[in-house]
Amino acid sequence: MGTRDAKTARLMSAGAEIELTINGEKVKATEGRSLYDVLSGMGVIIPAMCYHYTFTPFGSCGMCLVEVEGKKAPVRSCTASVQAGMVVRTETPEMKEAQKKALIKHLSTHPLDCPVCDADGHCELQDFTFQFGIGEVPNVKQKGIPEDTRSTVLDFNMNRCIVCGQCINVCKEVQLIDALTFLKKDGFTIVTAKEDKPLACEFCGDCLAVCPVGAITNKFSKYLYKPWQMKKTQTTCPYCGDGCQLQVETKDNRIVRVTSKLTWKSKWGDRAETAKGHGGICGRGRFGFQMVNSPNRLKLPLMRKDGRLVETPWLDAQDFVAERLTKIKMDHGGQAIAGLISARCTNEDIYLFQKFMRIGMGTNQVDGTARYGHLNVVAALRKAFGTDRIRMMNNAEQVTHADAIFIIGSDITETHPVFNVRVKEALRKYKAKVIVADPITTHIARLATHHLAIKTGSESRLIQGLVKIILDRGLCDETVLQKYPNAVEVLKQAAAGITIETTAEATGIPAERLAEAAEVLAKSERGVVLFEDGITKRKDGYQNVLNLVDLALVCGLFEKDGAGLNALCEENNELGLVDMGGASEFLPGGLEYQNAAARGKFSKEWREEMPDLPSVDLPQILDRARKGEIKALYIVGENPVGTLPASMGAAEALSKIELVIVQDPFLTETGRLAHVVLPATTYAEKEGSFTSMEGKVNPVRMVIEPIGESKPDWEIFSELAWRMGFPLEYGSAKEIHREIAKTIPGYFTTKPEPLTVELSGYLNNGYAKEAPSRYAVKPGHDQATGPAGYPFTLVLGQILYHSGKYSTQAEGLMKIYDKALLQIGPADAERLQLAAGDTVVLTSPADGVGAIEVGIEIQPALPAGLVFFPEHFNTPPVKDLIAAELDPVTRVIYHKRGPVAIMKGAS
Amino acid sequence: MKPGRNLIQKILMLEIVRAMWVVFRHMFGKGITFQYPHVKRTLPDGHRGALGLLKYDDGVERCVGCDLCEAACPSHCIKVVSEQVPDKPLVRYASEFYIDMTKCVFCGFCVEACPVNALGMTKLYEYSTENKRDLYFDKKKLYEVGETYFADAKAYLVAHRQEQADETAIQYRYKFPFTVLTGKKE
Repeated sequence: MGTRDAKTARLMSAGAEIELTINGEKVKATEGRSLYDVLSGMGVIIPAMCYHYTFTPFGSCGMCLVEVEGKKAPVRSCTASVQAGMVVRTETPEMKEAQKKALIKHLSTHPLDCPVCDADGHCELQDFTFQFGIGEVPNVKQKGIPEDTRSTVLDFNMNRCIVCGQCINVCKEVQLIDALTFLKKDGFTIVTAKEDKPLACEFCGDCLAVCPVGAITNKFSKYLYKPWQMKKTQTTCPYCGDGCQLQVETKDNRIVRVTSKLTWKSKWGDRAETAKGHGGICGRGRFGFQMVNSPNRLKLPLMRKDGRLVETPWLDAQDFVAERLTKIKMDHGGQAIAGLISARCTNEDIYLFQKFMRIGMGTNQVDGTARYGHLNVVAALRKAFGTDRIRMMNNAEQVTHADAIFIIGSDITETHPVFNVRVKEALRKYKAKVIVADPITTHIARLATHHLAIKTGSESRLIQGLVKIILDRGLCDETVLQKYPNAVEVLKQAAAGITIETTAEATGIPAERLAEAAEVLAKSERGVVLFEDGITKRKDGYQNVLNLVDLALVCGLFEKDGAGLNALCEENNELGLVDMGGASEFLPGGLEYQNAAARGKFSKEWREEMPDLPSVDLPQILDRARKGEIKALYIVGENPVGTLPASMGAAEALSKIELVIVQDPFLTETGRLAHVVLPATTYAEKEGSFTSMEGKVNPVRMVIEPIGESKPDWEIFSELAWRMGFPLEYGSAKEIHREIAKTIPGYFTTKPEPLTVELSGYLNNGYAKEAPSRYAVKPGHDQATGPAGYPFTLVLGQILYHSGKYSTQAEGLMKIYDKALLQIGPADAERLQLAAGDTVVLTSPADGVGAIEVGIEIQPALPAGLVFFPEHFNTPPVKDLIAAELDPVTRVIYHKRGPVAIMKGAS
Repeated sequence: MKPGRNLIQKILMLEIVRAMWVVFRHMFGKGITFQYPHVKRTLPDGHRGALGLLKYDDGVERCVGCDLCEAACPSHCIKVVSEQVPDKPLVRYASEFYIDMTKCVFCGFCVEACPVNALGMTKLYEYSTENKRDLYFDKKKLYEVGETYFADAKAYLVAHRQEQADETAIQYRYKFPFTVLTGKKE
């Protein structure tokens, strides 16, 4: 979004360059642009309370008046477009007088309750009232409308509203939600949720951000402090891989509220800060900050004494851990020690942890949460692209300007609410064709030009079918045909058994719609493929990523500028986790551990020999623990007991381990089974960096001092290492940062280079052998429905208001959504005679789980045969119903989809 | 001065006599100093003493928790935490209010900044204590001061032309919309 000039002009061929005169200065501009945009680009600040560059000019406030030669009346600059030879004057006394009159009109109905208003000090109306020096206002009228406090997160004070419509426009045109509307009530126009109901939307808070007065207020920080009282720190959001920049406002070591770059103020200036997005944040980022100051935070280390976890001073806990770890290492060797780290930690933490384990403990049993799915992307794309570090091929700007977007296996609105705005902009402004392949009629699927409501679990059949259709119809990209004729031939041979009819049957999509989708993708100039956990975290994830590579290849997405294949990341630092060596097969920089040369490089840098040890991943760690081969397990920020289904036996494995150390800001399910729990800080209390899914390294800044006696993760590792006699001495996260910058050259660059894709290595070596095996149709393979008697497919997934289990500690998000309910489609609900408020009993073929009773919610978006449960909640333990499966290649644990049977519950 | 005259003056100790005259004259005249603490001085209405928080005649707290006093304070001795009055979404009040009297420089800016005349300076100056913490006035203490010395604070506000003796503060100082003060429509 951001600047509406050069790029837009190039892409939309908006018009020729023209010249006009503004305040006596000759200015060049693109024809058709809003005059206000040109003025604000020059640094001229004109009050415009209804204007924001993110949506089409509305022209309701009547403030942005300028004088145009040849026009008698003052012209509204926002709705006027520039024309050649225009002579514009902004600073004339007549214009000032006209603006003042318009302002007085607004003030006559605006209550002067500034001292109690939350926008006091951050209010466009207030600023310009001062600037114009308005004292007395004649004919003052008070609206006397009671405040609308029905919504969970926002309060609407319509006395203060100046009816500018920015909130409605941003909701309608940027978010494409359209939740707000004008309403005539008691002779006044007010803003309210559609049909005058309590507001129930995505709660992105963009309406709150753009409101130029205090008509919309944040319920969680209402009346607490005034803007000038709070310290503002810019940091990176800890929830998803978008890497949004938050402005965290704090007072007395407490986070009061979170705002973003998107405000009414961002319409002025060069808009450099919001050039690659609208600068907004989502509901998670805006309202999910309370977990930092949560009363559940651990403030002191806990140690198990007589079977109970009791608070212990840091010195005792550290001495105990250091002593026990040293003893275990002496007695059993490094192979008895394992480590597990979460992708929610900073790059610095992850780097130091793997160094601590690999150098200090002498083990390569280090794994991270990328094992839950992201490693499929890493493994497949490393193989295909021939690069060490995997990230998105296209940045947000390129996605915005794409002409065709194929989204598969991702409910992008729920998982990446801000990145999803890029897709929506592509849809709305650039008229891109968006194809969404999802069994669920998600929000983006409803907006999309093509929604392929495929059968559950038929993703691989769809991708392969599309490849085949493109090959059959001769739509394959010319450059690809010339460059890789052998590979295309291999694909043709491999997919010989597939026809459009079989695909139509397997996916449940009519043949003509498949053909249409294939054509859109193949003929696109800037086609972008986006995929996520629906591919990576479900069975055959690795294979499906390779299938997507095939699809992107035949569509020529690797050859065209601005096109590409992109994996989205659910956790905020999943990319960083792999880049920092937080997976057993990788060293920092994406180098392979099993590669002796790479190991040698790090041995030299770390001045410690790294032996040739097997890479032991999470499933193997759990296996070895059950066999009693692991004596100590160090878990950082991860919660395998709460995340993995019971069939993985995480709890049993932990019970066999002599020393379980859990380091976390909260006492998790895993922490309750630990011998020592060390209190770590959250993102808000430490320095560091997160790598966004685009590959951009965003800084994490210290917003408040650590709560209680919690410490940043790196500090705990560093102090432990010192106690154990192998100093990993770092004075601050900055020093680790410098070391990473040295070991991985160019990692922290502010302008990351585009991902280099070199397919020839992959396509020329072994592709002929590998591809046919993927395309071999295995009967019944793609059906998620399991054994007879289990007709439903249970899917665990993310919802908009939560991210992992981390966000369930945020009080505000729990107020928005705390329903641990099974979502079921209306067709199934009718068949089972279920109504909202009923409970159902779930059973599954997974061993030893029994029946689980859970409440239901009827969700119109769900198709028959599919039920959904938000993965964030663990009571009741619905996750246990799924029998975990391991990927044969990447050893990713698939535990998000499985067959279940549903019966109506007793109550 | 002639040396002979000087000598005579020295012999007669005229300087001492003159000085003693001054002393004796005051011994029988009206005293200038006060016998504090037995006698106390009458202070002018504009005197800047301890700060107090005020209430309206009907017992409602005047303070709306706008934090302007905190912004105006040059010595950063004021801290305000505000909240919504339960069940009255339009009404804001200060749930916590602190003034660190050890830091206060008695400039009176906070009183001047207050849009509702909730703060007043009283004629109280006798609050020395053995415990320094007692000088960190909290909301309770401030309302105690305000209630005990309401007349002083009112006189201060009148002296500074912030309030009129015969009119209520709402009318005089800041034209708040009625809803903001009561939560109800007029």
